[in-house]
Amino acid sequence: MYLGTDLLAAWSLNLEFGVAGVANLAYIVVIAAGAYTYAVLTLGPSSGNGGFQQYILGFRLPFALTVIAAALVGAAVGALIRVSGLKRLRQDYQGMVMLVVSLMAATVVGADGGLFNGQAGLSLVSNPFSGSGSAGGDWTYVGVVALACVVGYLLLRRFTGGPMGRTLRAMRDDEHAAAAIGRSVVNLRLLAQAVGGAFGGVRGALLVGLIGGWSPSSWAYPETLALLTAIIVGGMGNNVGVSIGTFVVYLLLLQGVQFLPAIASHPGLTEAFGWMILGVTTVAFVWLRPQGVFPERRPRFGRPRADPAGGSGPGLSDSIRA
Amino acid sequence: MIALGAVDFTVQFGINSILNITYGSLTTLAAYLGHFLVGAHLSIWLALAIGAVMVGLASMVFHRVLLAPLVRRGIRPFGLIVVTVACGIVLRYVIVAVVGPTAQSYGEQSGATLHILGMTFTVAQVVSIAITAVLMLSLHLLLTRTKLGRAMRATSANRTLAQSCGIATDRISDIAWLISGTLCGAAGVALAITVATFDFTLGSVFLIPMIAAAEPGGSGPALRRDAGRVGGGDQQPGGGRPLEPRVPGRDRLRDPDREVAGAPARALRGHLVVAAAAGMSPV
Repeated sequence: MYLGTDLLAAWSLNLEFGVAGVANLAYIVVIAAGAYTYAVLTLGPSSGNGGFQQYILGFRLPFALTVIAAALVGAAVGALIRVSGLKRLRQDYQGMVMLVVSLMAATVVGADGGLFNGQAGLSLVSNPFSGSGSAGGDWTYVGVVALACVVGYLLLRRFTGGPMGRTLRAMRDDEHAAAAIGRSVVNLRLLAQAVGGAFGGVRGALLVGLIGGWSPSSWAYPETLALLTAIIVGGMGNNVGVSIGTFVVYLLLLQGVQFLPAIASHPGLTEAFGWMILGVTTVAFVWLRPQGVFPERRPRFGRPRADPAGGSGPGLSDSIRA
Repeated sequence: MIALGAVDFTVQFGINSILNITYGSLTTLAAYLGHFLVGAHLSIWLALAIGAVMVGLASMVFHRVLLAPLVRRGIRPFGLIVVTVACGIVLRYVIVAVVGPTAQSYGEQSGATLHILGMTFTVAQVVSIAITAVLMLSLHLLLTRTKLGRAMRATSANRTLAQSCGIATDRISDIAWLISGTLCGAAGVALAITVATFDFTLGSVFLIPMIAAAEPGGSGPALRRDAGRVGGGDQQPGGGRPLEPRVPGRDRLRDPDREVAGAPARALRGHLVVAAAAGMSPV
């Protein structure tokens, strides 16, 4: 189940970073937005459940509706984050702005106790299928996550493989050229982050339903680096490669260290090892193989068809025109 | 301390056009090194000096071994940011692995209480402010009055032209990272002295104010110019400024390169702006 939600997040960040070239170091914020949305729409009134949590809204809505709401909120937050970097900044400045947005968001949410219960976060978020019995509920959730992955993969593949995907890649490769043929770079980036944010919101909703709680410590900025590492390792712009990268990073690295023996005198040492290995892996791949294990295949275009009327066939600019 | 951190951030960026996010973790490293030295019964101020120098050396090695080769390979600016974020996380969790996640403290280092101009300070705060002022003034004088400072400004303005003039830009970069890393270390130890307790998140907590102080203060023409550029990897290392027409007989380096030379004053201005915006005391 964790791998499924990680795949959703990695594919959607790949859309933003690998396909559109948006330097989004604040991606974890949209996941958190989706998670909090799901939690406050399913927990019920804040006065219930013992009354030890303070949060806004407090409805008890059906699962499907809350996931849709999480997707919409994720899209809105993604677009809102993009607004902060609307000025056409150099890519590293964009990254810095996004990083600061991520840090600020965690600080604000942690400081405001009435919003989402501050640093303590929200808990007692129930598995929506727990009524089927413990094992049955878990397997149902596995099925839901798997379905979400299949649908998400097909949607993203359709999105990135079609004219819009070509336009985003054109913007990634050369903004000036894309702008010269009339593409609005600002709007394209907004769109990429909104779509990526929607999938991120869904991931957050599924994850919090699985874990049962969410707090600012769950969405620190290193989490975005883990996703970026999965994309870099697997291959940017290539969903299959990103899937491999996600498996390597999340299962083999970050989860694999859990099997190391714990040392009583150094609590948290295994988690620290995981992050250290992740950071070293990132640097190693950027140094040795920045294109990833499975590089993005460059598109090949057929020869222009001869026009029966004697005119020229489609030109190169058509390949990047939506 | 935030102003000092902002100055270092600006110097690093001004010389190499690298946004070094590892900066926060280096600040934390300095705090822990100072804490270790104080635990070894060294004076707090001697621990600050030693910790600052050690972090300066670490910063220089980091640039020389990792960042400079990546820049030569043509890595894009965002790729460098990803690398610095990754290295910052590695350093952060090395600290956690060695020292543990529990909070640390320098203990009772505040000293006596002083009342100056209606404000209340501790001796440690006064000394920290004095050290910060001396370091920033020294940096300003270095950048504006010395041959090394002129070479640094030349490298910041146009690296290629500086190389053509015989300036060893690689060595200048190393010195810049050594100086900025040393100041970063000093800021880290001073920060840790000021706060009651600190842990491995110290650097990330103060990274935002340092970046914010560097930005409102302004990093000069290069930063404003580059902010308007689109795309990455399209500028020469070191920021780059279009060649200005030469006036025969005039030292082309006489006009100060504002983005580096004015860094201390702008950082202090930025610190005051940030502090005012946050409703905090500037000290």
